Amino acid sequence: MKIRLLPAALLAALAFPLALQATVDDALSFAYEAATPYVQQGFTFREDAWGGDLGVGEQKAVTAQLFKGNNYWFCLGTDTDGATVTVHVYDSKGKLVESQNWQKGRFGGALVNPKQTGTYFAIVEVKKSPEERTHWALVYGYR
Amino acid sequence: MRNTFFGIAAASVATLVAHASILRAEPAPQQIDLSKFPAAAVQDVVVPVPSEIFNVLDKLGHPNWKGELRESMGKNTGNRAQVALLLGTVIAEGFIAVEAEDSERIKQIGHDVLDLSRAVGVEKAVVARSKAIVDKADARDWNGARKELDGALQDVRGAMDELNDEDLAQLVSLGGWVRGTEVLTSIVQKDYKRDRAELLHQPELLNYFDRRLDDMSPRLRKSDLVTQLKAMLGEIRPLILEGEGRKISPKSVDQIHSVTSKMVVTITSSDA
Repeated sequence: MKIRLLPAALLAALAFPLALQATVDDALSFAYEAATPYVQQGFTFREDAWGGDLGVGEQKAVTAQLFKGNNYWFCLGTDTDGATVTVHVYDSKGKLVESQNWQKGRFGGALVNPKQTGTYFAIVEVKKSPEERTHWALVYGYR
Repeated sequence: MRNTFFGIAAASVATLVAHASILRAEPAPQQIDLSKFPAAAVQDVVVPVPSEIFNVLDKLGHPNWKGELRESMGKNTGNRAQVALLLGTVIAEGFIAVEAEDSERIKQIGHDVLDLSRAVGVEKAVVARSKAIVDKADARDWNGARKELDGALQDVRGAMDELNDEDLAQLVSLGGWVRGTEVLTSIVQKDYKRDRAELLHQPELLNYFDRRLDDMSPRLRKSDLVTQLKAMLGEIRPLILEGEGRKISPKSVDQIHSVTSKMVVTITSSDA
């Protein structure tokens, strides 16, 4: 599901962080939080994002057209306390192509420097969660 | 708004960044079988924003962008599908004007975006963007103008989606893609480099556009414009598949340029 974060939702997330409802928009604010360091490094993050909900052990593949010459950070977040989510990026032949990856609880990130222009897949997975379904959101930026 | 958010969030993530080197995730499989992914677990392709391509082009040399600008933006015929496609081409033109650092042209395009958005009922969504485009052009803030154009494209699409005009939203994207591809191929033609030609390797994106055209309402699907778009994608597909480990040849670049140029003429002509 493609999602867009409305300014009002963003304001609410900033003003009342403890009163967040479990929605994909909330997960998105955490995805942007994961992206913050890379914005400061000059990455431009798109204003739209992708998200949904997954059970533990379930995966979702987000298909992306990437261009050789750009570097891309994929940043993932969830609003579920105690959840662990990961994102890994593969090329169209299923080969892992990320040059960096990190994971910290509700946040995850993967850096890709495409060797070829073409189709890539960001695989999102909920590794652990106290909830039956865990909302997640993915953003990506390029430089 | 988003910058403010990033600024506030920076502090809370600073620790995370500082320790990024020790936050390595458990190793992921080096190879996976994508064919085993159930279709429902695969999200449709993310359509790249134009800036992603222009960002690469910036690194590959200095084409004569002024020479790529069109004299006329085309005519609004009142046909909503044509207007949506035209709007996409005009936004794409904005990116070219940014590359050409032509502030007057960018400002004109900012106004054109507003006029065309009004014609398809999404004016409110782009008023602020249009003004921002003009302001950034006045300030010669080229990166800022580019970001506002990306934002305008997304705002227009978002507003159309909210009005349940997904078909028109797709046509805006397609219009931008057609004009962007016409210009990209023109630049590659003039100074062929394999890296530049490889930017045309977008197989899933073409398949995605093709599926979206198939999903359109029967009336729209049978229209001349959509029929011609389908034919254009069919002509381009085999040419860009050469990117799979092989170079996209100068001849293929010429062919892609030819079909996209024809399509832009169709979109912008008064009898579309």
